[in-house]
Amino acid sequence: MEGMGDRSIRVAGLALAMVYASFIVWLYVRQPQTLAEVTGGLTATVGAYRIDQRSFDDGLDLFRREQHEASRAAFERADPAGQDARTQFYIAYSYYRSGWGRTYQDNELFKMGLGRVDKAIALAPGHRLMVDDPGLDMRSADELRAELAEGLRVDASDFNPMRVFRKRK
Amino acid sequence: MKATIEAVYLPLLFLTVALLGGLRLDERVTFVPPPLFALVLGVMLFGVLVRGRVLAPDRLMSASRPSLENLNGLVVILSTFFAATQVFNLVTPEAGLPFLLFNVFLFVLLVNTLAVSPDRVSVLRSMAIITGAAFILKFIVLGAISAPGESMLKRVLYALLEGVTLGTLTQPQLHPAAGYLAFATLALFLIGLAMLPSRTRSVALIKLDE
Repeated sequence: MEGMGDRSIRVAGLALAMVYASFIVWLYVRQPQTLAEVTGGLTATVGAYRIDQRSFDDGLDLFRREQHEASRAAFERADPAGQDARTQFYIAYSYYRSGWGRTYQDNELFKMGLGRVDKAIALAPGHRLMVDDPGLDMRSADELRAELAEGLRVDASDFNPMRVFRKRK
Repeated sequence: MKATIEAVYLPLLFLTVALLGGLRLDERVTFVPPPLFALVLGVMLFGVLVRGRVLAPDRLMSASRPSLENLNGLVVILSTFFAATQVFNLVTPEAGLPFLLFNVFLFVLLVNTLAVSPDRVSVLRSMAIITGAAFILKFIVLGAISAPGESMLKRVLYALLEGVTLGTLTQPQLHPAAGYLAFATLALFLIGLAMLPSRTRSVALIKLDE
């Protein structure tokens, strides 16, 4: 009877140690910053993570009305753990639109946008993300990433006066 | 009780040390993996533990034990190694001259401990002194040098280290809770070491025939 008790303890201990060790490895790899990111990340791992749809819709509405700072606040509320690729894509897009200028762009906002679109790509299944939104000129995360990266690069085309006629996407 | 210690307490204790050893509190929380040299120091500390009979690997894994017990033993051995590595990650400064000096200091201490072939109690005392000294140097002395403002300790250190450019010694400013967390982590590690299945030096009493 005691032998069976010992065996149960050993099996339970082994399972517990495995789960705990996996959790530690996950923490070191994913580097979550908040408790919301920890819980969100864990639920996303088992496929149970859901965004707050109402906040997402609010964010989308504000995004379409060109209120980008407000839209980002709503998107952040919708996806507090930063685990939804589509929401991260819209946040990145809002940084692009906020930072875009006819004669110059805000590099800080572009850098933040680049960080978010990289996150969106990392979260998307197979690292491929398409957003079917007719209001967007760039519907894939790869296009958005290229546009943001190109904006941050300094090259001869930056001094082309015809740049003022380019169109925001 | 033996099964509970081996399968539950020791792995959880050492895994907690491995988790907290790389935790850095700042404006944001980060988990820092151990630098390569911490792995080297971890291997050396593991050698010291085995040589000093603080850890008896054959009491955790051997052909005479059932496979489940051997698996539990393997978990204890691995978690002890990772905890040892993360303890060095914790007590070593982040960069610069102190990072180099601390690593050399710890390396020499461990080589010395390996060379003298100490007993269990000496190894445990030695571990407490090594980790305690490194804790004081990093979290109290270097912490005071790197903190903003002019404290009494900082003025004393300026006087003692006259001629040394303090710019080479300063480290990123530590979070107020970092020292407490490190202290708790080191205490857990030392408790874990004391709980490891050990081997006492065997003594034979031989009666000579008259």
